[in-house]
Formats: sequence, C-alpha cells, structure tokens
Amino acid sequence: MIKMALEIIVMIKQVPDSSEVVIDPVTFTLNRGAARNVINPADENAVEQALLIKDKNPGTHITVITMGPPFAETALLDCMARGVDRAILVTDRAFAGADTYPTGLTLAATITKIGKFDLIYAGEESTDSSTGHVGPGVAEFLGIEQASYTSNSWVEDGSVFAERQLEDGVETVKMEPPCLITVLTNANIPREATLRMKIDALKKGIETWTLADINLKPEWVGLKGSPTIVKSMRTINEKKREGKKFGVDEMDKFVDELVSKEILKFGGE
Amino acid sequence: MVGLINAEKPENLDDYKNVMVFLEARDGKIKKPGLEMISVGASMAHKVNEILIGITFGEKVGTMVKEAGEYGCDRVIGYESPDLKDFRTIPYATLLSDLIQELKPNILLIPATRNGRDLASRIAVRSRTGVTADCTELDVDPNGRILQARRPTYGESTLAEILCRSHRPQMATARPGIFPVPERNKDAKYESEVRKAKIKKEYLKKEVVDFRPKTTVDLTSAKYIVSGGLGLGKASGFKLIQEVADEIGAYVGASRPTVDMGWIGKDHQVGQTGQSVRPKLYIACGISGKAQHLMGMKLSENIVSINTDPEAEINSISDYIINADLYEVLPKLTDAIRKKKAE
Ligand SMILES: Cc1cc2nc3c(=O)[nH]c(=O)nc-3n(C[C@H](O)[C@H](O)[C@H](O)COP(=O)(O)OP(=O)(O)OC[C@H]3O[C@@H](n4cnc5c(N)ncnc54)[C@H](O)[C@@H]3O)c2cc1C
Ligand SMILES: Cc1cc2nc3c(=O)[nH]c(=O)nc-3n(C[C@H](O)[C@H](O)[C@H](O)COP(=O)(O)OP(=O)(O)OC[C@H]3O[C@@H](n4cnc5c(N)ncnc54)[C@H](O)[C@@H]3O)c2cc1C
Repeated sequence: MIKMALEIIVMIKQVPDSSEVVIDPVTFTLNRGAARNVINPADENAVEQALLIKDKNPGTHITVITMGPPFAETALLDCMARGVDRAILVTDRAFAGADTYPTGLTLAATITKIGKFDLIYAGEESTDSSTGHVGPGVAEFLGIEQASYTSNSWVEDGSVFAERQLEDGVETVKMEPPCLITVLTNANIPREATLRMKIDALKKGIETWTLADINLKPEWVGLKGSPTIVKSMRTINEKKREGKKFGVDEMDKFVDELVSKEILKFGGE
Repeated sequence: MVGLINAEKPENLDDYKNVMVFLEARDGKIKKPGLEMISVGASMAHKVNEILIGITFGEKVGTMVKEAGEYGCDRVIGYESPDLKDFRTIPYATLLSDLIQELKPNILLIPATRNGRDLASRIAVRSRTGVTADCTELDVDPNGRILQARRPTYGESTLAEILCRSHRPQMATARPGIFPVPERNKDAKYESEVRKAKIKKEYLKKEVVDFRPKTTVDLTSAKYIVSGGLGLGKASGFKLIQEVADEIGAYVGASRPTVDMGWIGKDHQVGQTGQSVRPKLYIACGISGKAQHLMGMKLSENIVSINTDPEAEINSISDYIINADLYEVLPKLTDAIRKKKAE
C-alpha cells in the first residue's frame, strides 16, 4: 500500500454548547445566554477523522479554517492543540448574516487562497441552524466530488474511500482526491489535547484573514450575498398533554383506553 | 473556482412557473419521502393554477414514472441510464440543474433525506439560489407566488419562516414523515416522458463500491415505538421492552446512555443525536426526559411515561403516566394487551 502525505483542510464552526443551552422542558424555549461557545460537535469528529488519516499517512499536513467572529479563535486553538498544523480565522464585519450560499462561497474562496489540498472535511451539520448545506455547497463552488454523512473514511493507494450512513443502508464510495467529506456526529471519539500541545498551540498562534485576503466583493458575502432571509420566527405551540394517571394494577383499563381512543389498533392498518 | 460568481438574480421572475419535485428512488421504486412531497407540491401548484412536475432518475424508470403520475404529478419526466442506478451527487446534480434551466420551475422541492440534502445543497449553489432546509410547513403566497418555507430551529422550539424572494427556483427540502402520502389513483391523467440520460465520463468518477441494506428499522416511519432508558438498569431489560413491542407491532427505541452502554444498537437511539420520531404512540420506559431526548420524540401523537419518579421531566409532556417500577408494569402491560387481542 502506497502511503501518501496529504494536504487536508477541516472546516469548523463555533456554536453555543448545546448541553449548556438550557431548554425549558415545558415551553421548549431556549436560553442561549449562559452557554459557552464550543466547536460544533460533528466538527470535532471531522478534525479527529483528519488526524486519524494523518496518523496513518506521515507527512500529512492539516489546516483548520473557520468563518466567524474573532472569539472563534478559541475553537481553532483547541484544534491545534489536538494536532492540527495550521489554523486560519476568516473574519470580517461583511460576513455577518450569511446564509449557506455566501458561507460556502467564503469558505471556498479561503480554500482557493490556501491553494493545494487533497481532502476537505466538514461536519454533517451544525447544532445551531443545522442545514447541513455548507459542506456540499463548498464542494460545488470548488467543483469537486463529495461524500456526505460518513461514519468512516480512509485513503488507499491514492484513492479516497468513505462509508456513508443512509436511511436504508450503508454505502461505500470510492473517489479520487481532491474531494470533500462530511462527518457524522459520533463517527469516532475525538482525542483530548495534552497540556504540552495546548502550550505549543498558543505559541504557534493562528492566522487571521479578512475579506480583502480572499478576493471576494463585499456584496457577494454576508447578508447582502444571501438569497434567503429569515422572515419570522414563532414558538411552536405544543400539544396540551393531560398526563392521565394509571396504577400498576390498572393495565387492563389502560389498554382499553388506548384501544377505545383508537390510539392502538390490532391486526394491520 | 467553478462557482465563484455571485448569486445573480434572474432577469425576469415571471419566467419561472410550476412546482417541481425530485422523487428520490431506490431499485426502481420511489421512496416514501418523495411521495410525501407530491401532496404538498400539488396543492401549492394548483393553488396558483400551475402544474406539479415530478422528476425521477434510475436505471429503468417506467414503473416510477407511472407511480409518480398515479400519485398526483401532472407531468412526469424520468431519466434513465445504467449510470443512474445509484445516487451519485455529480451526475444527479448535473441532470437536475439542466432540467431547471430547461423548465424554469418557480419552486423546487427535494426530500430532506441524506441523499436529498446532499443533492439540494449543490443544486442551490449551481442554480445560484437559496434553499430552506428540512421544512415541516410549506405554502405558497398567491401574490407573487412566493414559497413560504418553515423549518423548526433551535432544538425544535421555534419555527422560522424563510423566504427566497429574488432568486429562482425557490428551493426547499421537506422533512420525511411530515407530509402525507397522497392516495394512488390508477385513472389519474398525467403527461409523461422517459428520456435516456447521457452522462459524461468525467462526472462518473465517484463509484459506489458497496451497499449494505439496513436490516434494522427506520424509526422515523414507525407507528408505535416502545423505548427504554437507563431505568432498565441492565441490557437484558430490553427483553421486556421487546415483548411489549412485539405484541403491538412496535419498534424499539432507546435513550442515548443505553446506546452508549452498549445495551442496544445506535440505530435505536431517539433524540437530538439520534432519530427524530413522531409515531402515533410512544411509550417511554425508565426515561427521565432530558431535553436532548424530548427533542427527538415530543411530536409523537400520544406519549406514555412509565417511571418510578413522579417528578420525571417526561411526565410534563405525557398523555398517560404510569408511576411505578417498569419491571412490574411491563409484564402486566404485555398480559393486558394479549388479553385484549384475544377478545
Ligand atoms: C433560524 C435560522 C434558520 C436558518 N435556516 C437556513 C436555511 O434554511 N437555509 C440557509 O441557507 N441558511 C439558513 N440559515 C443561515 C445559516 O445558519 C448560516 O448560513 C450558517 O452560516 C451556516 O449554516 P449551518 O449552521 O446550517 O451549517 P451546516 O451546513 O449545518 O454546517 C455543516 C458544516 O459546515 C461547516 N461550516 C458551517 N459553517 C461554517 C463556518 N462559518 N466556518 C467554517 N465551517 C463551517 C462545518 O464543518 C459544519 O459542521 C438559518 C439561520 C437561522 C438563524
Ligand atoms: C450533545 C448531547 C446530545 C445528546 N443526545 C441525546 C439523544 O439523542 N438521545 C438521548 O436520549 N439523550 C441524549 N443526550 C443525553 C441526555 O442529556 C440524557 O442524559 C439522556 O437522555 C438520559 O437518558 P435516560 O432518560 O435513559 O437516563 P436518566 O436520565 O438516568 O433517567 C432514567 C430514568 O429512569 C427512571 N427509573 C429508574 N429506575 C426505574 C424503574 N425500575 N422503573 C421505572 N423507571 C425507572 C428514573 O426515575 C429516571 O427518570 C445527549 C446529551 C448531550 C450533551
């Protein structure tokens, strides 16, 4: 088997920590205020997948990129501490309010500016607006192949293999680099950063690019470059639930109730 | 960079007419999420005196074209080629975006399945338009024929309405299991056309080298689900769950920690990082009802909680509460169902 030194780019997004985001169990409203910002969970799996490939293919170089506000630096440093070689924060006021179209465009322009790459990794979707469109959008802007919703991927004799988890089965695809892969949440167990590596990451630091660095016009990015607009938001009205109680010795009565209300039907449709 | 051009607005929005649906298929059959879009697509099209155009790709499309027409498409176009047997992003995206150029649909719907989202993202960029992801409500405003696409966000707590006013087609992916499958009508009148697809070699570089169909269930289409949580205490507790499930023809669901403990497979997990389900009946056994679990099941029509803790969070969204030890409840419930069935 031929080993390859690969050039890998991982796209990550910083999101509010969903385990800290407090969701009221009755009204289901979300309190983001208190939440810490973390790496989008699926993106941690994407970073780990890139590192696994680097482990097997010595000489591989990984760059992690994010489009986001200046404080997204923390997420990038965290990736570097896990073994990523280079980190670029693309930040500019002009990027604010981007829908998936200009987000993909901005990331694709950043990657074009980086230059050479064999593999691009992204998460399956973000936990905040969760469209899952950014990864494939970048692949389209770059005109390269993609494999989405993957639980595993590897490089063998110069080809890229990926296992896609679909609703009705598991598909294995073979592609030639360069290509883009989106990684499922829980596809692997992300490694922890060591203290030593955290210090090294801080020393190395990250690079910061702005709109001017990636050759896009201001009207192409952010809100101005977005075909969609969020017109309105309303809370979803929950069904009123009665919470009718049955005792452990009332199972016959309970089943009668389910059947008489036609919640439960026996024998086909 | 291929697509590095800004989203140019189409010169004339009125050139774009009709609703187009992409009917995802496997092995010569349209999959359920595709059929579900026919009902909502047709009602939007007919509301503004337009037609619904169904598009389907495959190795052979004859039966699928017929299916699409009989389920309610006014016009059906099928593309066939051995190269279209498996879903592959680039050939599919190329054919579909060529059709968009040819037919100029005002609205394009694609199922929000994994392959559907994979495709929709690329079509949107290629067509320089917007796409609203994973919609649960779709309507069209007769003034201006603007698609009102609504999608749950922020952990399903809010419904955001997203518009794409000045780009065409207006695209949305529709969440499976939300829109009803229309009645099939063998006498339906529709126009149909089967085209042979010619696909450039350079578009066929990605190969599907293996496909293993899932033997396990897809919980999203389940009518009844009986779910187990940490309250089971041990892996073998799922046997009791399975017994009840077998009796009523239900699928088995699970909370995440039971999956993490290896008591049951990941395919059974319900919740934020598992599957989102909305069965007619969801029986939660020994599940506390943490937000990440509720997110995946709170849209169930009827919810039953079996829990020793009267204060369990899940009780606040339950229609029925059985406040007792599941090891006592479940065998009695199984017996009661058997008795009722024998009546
Ligand atoms: C309520 C609400 C609803 C929305 N609905 C839509 C919609 O339906 N359609 C639409 O076009 N836009 C929508 N948006 C806008 C959307 O949130 C932004 O476009 C956002 O920049 C990216 O979308 P996402 O979070 O869904 O990313 P996803 O596509 O879910 O993210 C997938 C992966 O792409 C990569 N990625 C995503 N963003 C970045 C980034 N900034 N930097 C680096 N990598 C990144 C990561 O690897 C991530 O795991 C919505 C926004 C809100 C607030
Ligand atoms: C990012 C993130 C994503 C997550 N995604 C998911 C997800 O997709 N799905 C998911 O389920 N969780 C998810 N979780 C975990 C979630 O937060 C909860 O930890 C989990 O749902 C709790 O599972 P449980 O109800 O089985 O266990 P517990 O919370 O421990 O509840 C056990 C319940 O069993 C009851 N009980 C105990 N003994 C008995 C008995 N003998 N009879 C009857 N009742 C009994 C107890 O009263 C208690 O209510 C996620 C967490 C995070 C941070």
